[in-house]
Parts: sequence; C-alpha cells; structure tokens
Amino acid sequence: MLFRVDPASSVPLGDQIAGSVRGAIADGTVNPGDRLPAARALADSLGVNVHTVLRGYQRLREEGLIELRRGRGAVVVPGPVSPGRAKILERVRELVDEARELGMSEEELMSMVRLGMTTT
Amino acid sequence: MNQARIRLATVTVAPFALALGVQLAVLLVVGDRLPDSLATHFDLSGDSDRDPMSRTAALVASVLLFAGVGALWVVSALGSPLTARALKWLTAGGWALGGLLGYTLTATLLANLDATDSSAVRLPPWQLAVGAAVALAAAGVGLLLTRFVPNPGHEPTGDDGTTRIDLAEGELAGWSRRTGSGPLLAVGLATLTAGVFVAVAVSWRYGPMVFVIGLLALVFASAHVSVDRHGLTVRMGALSWPRVRVPLKDIEAASSRRINAVAEYGGWGYRIRHKRTGVVMRSGEAIVVRRANGREFAVTVADSATAAALLNTLVDRRKRG
Repeated sequence: MLFRVDPASSVPLGDQIAGSVRGAIADGTVNPGDRLPAARALADSLGVNVHTVLRGYQRLREEGLIELRRGRGAVVVPGPVSPGRAKILERVRELVDEARELGMSEEELMSMVRLGMTTT
Repeated sequence: MNQARIRLATVTVAPFALALGVQLAVLLVVGDRLPDSLATHFDLSGDSDRDPMSRTAALVASVLLFAGVGALWVVSALGSPLTARALKWLTAGGWALGGLLGYTLTATLLANLDATDSSAVRLPPWQLAVGAAVALAAAGVGLLLTRFVPNPGHEPTGDDGTTRIDLAEGELAGWSRRTGSGPLLAVGLATLTAGVFVAVAVSWRYGPMVFVIGLLALVFASAHVSVDRHGLTVRMGALSWPRVRVPLKDIEAASSRRINAVAEYGGWGYRIRHKRTGVVMRSGEAIVVRRANGREFAVTVADSATAAALLNTLVDRRKRG
C-alpha cells in the first residue's frame, strides 16, 4: 500500500495517512484482514512522528475500517463490507469539504443527508 | 523490442521455421528424385485422391503455409498481454502444429520419391498417427522451452526503470506490503513437526537438525517489504529478522516483472545466483532492482509496479539532491 503525506498541505498529516489507507481499502489494494505496517515502522519510513501515525490509525478505527489489537497491530476489519465502507467514507470526506466551502453548518448538512435517506 | 520479447518470438516461431527447414533440406538433398508433379492429397485408405500439384507450387504453398502460421502465432503471443498459462499452451500448440505439419508434409515429399505416376503414390494413414506422435513430442519440447521465456505480457511498461509516481516537492511517500508463500509455510510446519517426531522416535541427534531446518523455512516463508526514503527493505518472517536492505544510493533502476522461481532462481526462499539475488516466495510479479554494481535484487510481492515506480521516483529525487 502506498502512503503519501504532504507537509505543505493544510490537511493534518495523521489525516493524510488515514486517507492513504482509506483509499487503498476502497480500491482493493489492501484487503479485509490485511495487516497495516506497525506504527513505528511506518513513522520511520515516512520520517514523521510515531504519534502522527497513531493519530491516523485511531481515526481509521473510529471510522470502523481497522481494528487495533495489542500484539497484532492494525488490521483491516475482516468482512466483505470494508471496501464499500471505505468508498462511502471517501465520499463523505468530499461531501463535508464541499459543504464547508459553501459555509454550510453541520446541522444543515446533516438534515440534507437525513432527507436524502427518507426519499428512497 | 526487449530481450524477453525476442526470446518469446523465437520460441513461438521456431517450430514452423524448423519444419520448413526440414522440408527445404529434404528438397535440397533428394529434390532431383522427385517427379515434376507431386501427389499432395490422400484419402483415408492412403491413396492419392486429387490432381497432382506441380513441384514449384507445392514448395511455394508450404513456404506460404509456414510463414502464415508462424506470423499468426507470433502476433498472438506478442500482440496481447497473455497470462503465463495461456502463453504456455499457445507455445505448446504451435510446436504441436509445427511438428504435425512438418512431419506429414515431409512424409508426403518422401512418398513421392522416384514416383513415375503420381496417382499411384500412397501415404498410408498410419503416417498420420506418427505425425500425431511427433506433434505430441514437439509440444513437450515447446512446453520445456517456455520455462526459459519470461512473460513479457506482464511487464507493465515493457521497459526497465522508467515508471514514476507523481510526487509533489517535499511530499513524503512510503510503500509497504506483506508477502508470503503458503507452500513454504506448509513445508516449514511439516519439517518442524517431523523434527519433533525424529527427536522423539528416531534419534535425539538428528531431531534438532531437522527442527532447525523447519524453523529456517518458516523464517523465509513470509516477509515484509517496504520502499521508502531508506531504499528497498525486506524483513523476513514474523521476527522481522534477518533484514535485507538495498539503499537508494545503490539503486540504478527498479522495475516490476514476473519472475519464475524455478527457472530463474532454482527454487524458493532467499536465493543467491550469479549476478542476482532474490527473496523468492513464489513465481509471479516481483520488484526487480538493478544495483549500481550490476547485480539484480528481486523480491516477489503483489502491487510491485507501484513499489517500483516509487523507488524510481525516490532515486531520482535523491540524485537531484
């Protein structure tokens, strides 16, 4: 899996790492059940702080894409839904970014999404 | 055209060239004993059943036939990316066809030797059976030869070390992936168990030895491959040790290609050959790095094209300073 982070970007480095993993799960480069590199190894690889990597992994755990287990490290949640979930999360990112650009509030966006879910 | 493609073209066209060569040689040696018109078509009882063909027309027809079939085969082999398996059968099929045509056409020529009446020339049907046997043998030869041909269809770019990843100035990038070998894992576990068994049931002296061999197989059954600012790093087994690293400064170019474990490395595991070293878990795609000292280092891993492109990008960046 390819990790890319750009220190010049306004997006926090941890989120950029999370984004790399999300993209890899979405496009099938990484499969459910695969192990991510150890946080320390990845930090050394990229030349970033290990806490930065851990923040990214934590984010992915909150999104339900990976499991963090003591001794086993970070594992992509097994099961067939993970790639689809990652794709949706990527779209959510885009959605949120676009809404922010338009100066939309969280409540406004949420109500739009809620409305979208009732009309199917 | 790179070397792999030249080799593939040679192997696919060889049976037809060979068959034609045999025919021409026969013509050269015994051509003066052949009548001006040849019987070229026979029924199942072996009797000639069509009007005879002139000697020149028969020669032209067979040159055209072999050139046509040969071209067809080369185009099929090189024109589209085929799987290694498909390529194998395509080559074997070509050799079988070459063998069959070569044998039957040469037999036809020989049947016409010293014939005064072309309608009396016979080609008994058992000749066809011999032809089939020759075809089978030729197919075997073709299959053997495919072992020496790397599959060019899977070289993503066809040329070496030119793929890049579009990295912004100052952007950090790393690639990482696990690779492993199911068979090697199974062999390792089996040897480990055998070691215990030997120690308990046979001899305390040899048991530990077998056990250690099993342990070694397990160490080399999986690896963690990474590409980053340090270079290409392979960490073996669950312990991440031993570790092999090719630093960026030693890398000239990286590419992704399919390698054949047996043909190129003589087996699986950590392989050292003349001019190349490899961590070979299986036959299949691999990152192949050309080192500054002229040696090659390869590691079999999925998504190797991305890894090779990143390596090339990082090497460029390092050279730029």
